[in-house]
Amino acid sequence: MKLRNVPVVSYVFEAGADDRVFDSLLLVGPIVIGVIVVLDRSLFTEALAVAYLAVFVTYVLYQGIQE
Amino acid sequence: MLVSLVIPILWGEYYTLPALLVSAVIPLGIGRLLYRRFSDAEAPGRFHGMIVAASGWFSVGIFGSLPFLLIAWSVQLGVPGATTPAQTATLAAFTEPLNAVFESMSGFTGTGLTMTDNEEVLPRTLQWWRTFSEWIGGVGVIVLTTAILSRPGSGSLTLYESEARSEKIHPSIVSTVRTIWWIFILFTFVSILALWLAGMPIWGAINHGMTGLATGGFSITDNSIATYDSALIDFVLIPIMLLGSIAFPVHYLILQGDLRNFYSDLQTRWVFGYMGIGSALLWSFLYYAGPYETPFAALRYGLFQFVSAATCTGFQTAVDSTNVALGRWPSYAQLTVTFGMFVGGAAGSTAGGIKLIRGLTLAKGIRYQIADVFYPETAVRRLKINGRRLNEEEASREFMEAAIIVVLWITFLVVGTFVLLLTLPSGEYSLANVVFEVASAQGNVGLSSGITGPESLPEIGKIAFLFHMWIGRLEIIPVLVMLRTIFKRGGLYQ
Repeated sequence: MKLRNVPVVSYVFEAGADDRVFDSLLLVGPIVIGVIVVLDRSLFTEALAVAYLAVFVTYVLYQGIQE
Repeated sequence: MLVSLVIPILWGEYYTLPALLVSAVIPLGIGRLLYRRFSDAEAPGRFHGMIVAASGWFSVGIFGSLPFLLIAWSVQLGVPGATTPAQTATLAAFTEPLNAVFESMSGFTGTGLTMTDNEEVLPRTLQWWRTFSEWIGGVGVIVLTTAILSRPGSGSLTLYESEARSEKIHPSIVSTVRTIWWIFILFTFVSILALWLAGMPIWGAINHGMTGLATGGFSITDNSIATYDSALIDFVLIPIMLLGSIAFPVHYLILQGDLRNFYSDLQTRWVFGYMGIGSALLWSFLYYAGPYETPFAALRYGLFQFVSAATCTGFQTAVDSTNVALGRWPSYAQLTVTFGMFVGGAAGSTAGGIKLIRGLTLAKGIRYQIADVFYPETAVRRLKINGRRLNEEEASREFMEAAIIVVLWITFLVVGTFVLLLTLPSGEYSLANVVFEVASAQGNVGLSSGITGPESLPEIGKIAFLFHMWIGRLEIIPVLVMLRTIFKRGGLYQ
């Protein structure tokens, strides 16, 4: 079974900007928030959140430069 | 509503489960019944779309009040087999159906005016339900303006055109709605994580991230964002509110790498332009002639409150417990904030007000009409709006449309102000306070000068505000179309 055939994933892939990085961020988002809820504030969870935001911002800017 | 069942299970508020289930089953049952009854109805046109939007929003407001009403009564009367907490005055306010409907309508219209006097003591389930209603309402209004009521000039057709599917209306609407959800959920995660990193606890970050992006403004704390008293949180919330006030079709293009839209799109350019000018003006009022002694304090509270007002979010940092309450700012400062609420954000976003595109169409249209005097009658002129060159007929139509909305908006603002002045205790509130409050309700903002509350706002005022929030969210015309249809069918209007 291909990843894009999984129900939630297929919805995410079909909608939006048709970009796998943003699709991945959308799919990973609830997991990151879930980890924060469970583990609370720590260096690990803060690094995770920073990484998520950094990927988002950097990729938006990268896309803009590429364009 | 069924999605929200997760919250009481996670927080152990089992006594809210029966109320939530009943609240979900009632609209589901009525919906199924209506669906069966009208399944053979002819395909709806734009006229029907307006009526469905207006009546649908009203119905959602009514059905959305059920969790407030039923949970309040569950705590009041007790639930067999479940432990209920002690009743609080805040929750008891929702045993009154009008307060419950007010809260729900405020949520689904993204207004944020509230009938609670202390959000912190509400059950987590209701804190979530308030947040969720604004979040869903936020998506709803984007769908409404970009897919149902879209028309040239509103910036709403960009998404269709960029997908080159404008000739196929139905598939395009489905695709549009999915894309809006996609962008909205992605931005929600970004907002939540940014707020959490700024120091907000995760439950607050989830709720404020959702209501901030939806430009709704409901909070889970008694003093809104002022509770955290953190400049960093204030400054992180500003871009989140701005995200919500930019047209989502533009977000779509920006996520595809077309960053030029930040300045090439007229509305987006002006989101930054007029919020910058408004904030600077408010800062100067608050620092040079107002209540703040340091330039930074005036900047922090002035910038936040103007952006909060102009994006129609309604988060409040100016409260007496940490600085100076908005209702005690000088009148001219309050009126500056009121102007922000009046104009609002971009069409195709979650913001309210008359929308930037209408303000700009009016301004450009007036300049066009005045300049007409200086040209010969035979001159062929074009009105340029957002890269589109409109001929005289198109220009006149768009100018007229914008003018009608603005005139109606001001008319209802004036009528609402009269109603409130007549019903409020005389001498308790200034005219600036009253205009501010009505503009806040009609612009779906939610900032309060202190008038709105379960005890302070009279029943007639609550009913009037329900109407203001409703027409404000639907940009007036669909509600008038619906009312006219009802009166005409009922024989009251010929």
